[in-house]
Amino acid sequence: MAARFLWASRAASHLRISVAQRGFASVVLKDLKYADSHEWVKIDGNKATFGITDHAQDHLGDVVYVELPDLGRSVSQGESFGAVESVKATSDINSPVSGKVVEVNEVLTESPGLVNTSPYEEGWIIKVELSDAGEVEKLMDSDKYSKFCEEEDAKH
Amino acid sequence: MRSPRTLHGGLEARHSSPSYTLGKRRTDHNLLIPEADLKGLGAELHYTQRGGDITFHGPHQAILYPIISLRSIGIGARNYVETLERSMIEFASVYGVKARAGHKGETGVWVGDRKIGAIGVRISSGITSHGLAFNIDPDLKYFEHIVPCGIADKEVTSLRRETDDMLLPSEEVIHEQLVSCLAKAFSYDDVVWKEDPSFILDNQEEYKD
Repeated sequence: MAARFLWASRAASHLRISVAQRGFASVVLKDLKYADSHEWVKIDGNKATFGITDHAQDHLGDVVYVELPDLGRSVSQGESFGAVESVKATSDINSPVSGKVVEVNEVLTESPGLVNTSPYEEGWIIKVELSDAGEVEKLMDSDKYSKFCEEEDAKH
Repeated sequence: MRSPRTLHGGLEARHSSPSYTLGKRRTDHNLLIPEADLKGLGAELHYTQRGGDITFHGPHQAILYPIISLRSIGIGARNYVETLERSMIEFASVYGVKARAGHKGETGVWVGDRKIGAIGVRISSGITSHGLAFNIDPDLKYFEHIVPCGIADKEVTSLRRETDDMLLPSEEVIHEQLVSCLAKAFSYDDVVWKEDPSFILDNQEEYKD
């Protein structure tokens, strides 16, 4: 397959993409931790449940497919473990902490839209057994994450 | 206050020999003929990690794969795809073709109920790969062997078909125009063609089919 390549640059401060601004701020829950790739984690002893945040689901569009990892598989902080598909785009989901997958939310196979309608509850994606509890320190708390989302949205 | 900095993006413009491609969901049920028959048509089958259903790529299509860090411009999948759609719609309007974005669940670019532009994207660590395919004048018969993008009962069309007896410029010119619509939509002002993609590919993982 032949290809040609183009290199483009622009000034970061120019706001020229016209995007319809949504009037609401995304939901951020106080007792969760957050990764900068927009996944949330709920820690319960040495188990962690995670999914993607309200900000993430809003920016993805309607989720039509969730690719879940196999049980028993290891996941590493910051690395991809699955994907969601929305609007003809597959987006990798990254693991906010390292561990072993002990449960996956099979319901998402039939009802992937739960990721949009209930991102923090019914739309949870996997549960892992933590391999390094210290990693949680590297995540953001709700206030930091809210600010992070505001700053990211202000870039365009 | 942030000091201005420069953001970079890449774009790969491809030319494809006839091939059918599937996305991550591997919807092979939308290939209507046995895989063994593809050779007879002069076509190949490729599996990819992109979103979207089955589609056809071939000569006389503009196949454009932007390589952009969405995080650096603070947008997500939905806005990115909408921007790709807008670029194709604006480009079509240059030829007087009134295109529109797809209805819910029908991402892509349509002229009435006929699809003229398809989108299938992958986003990994916030960086895009794959992209769009716009029909300039491909052999539309190839689309008869699939349920294009998984949407039955909708036709596929091309710029050639929608502009009837209009004299179209060379494909190279058409390509440049579409690329320019894309660059404008993403606010890139400085655009340069290069032969060597290595500077774009340096931090990217696989993005080719």
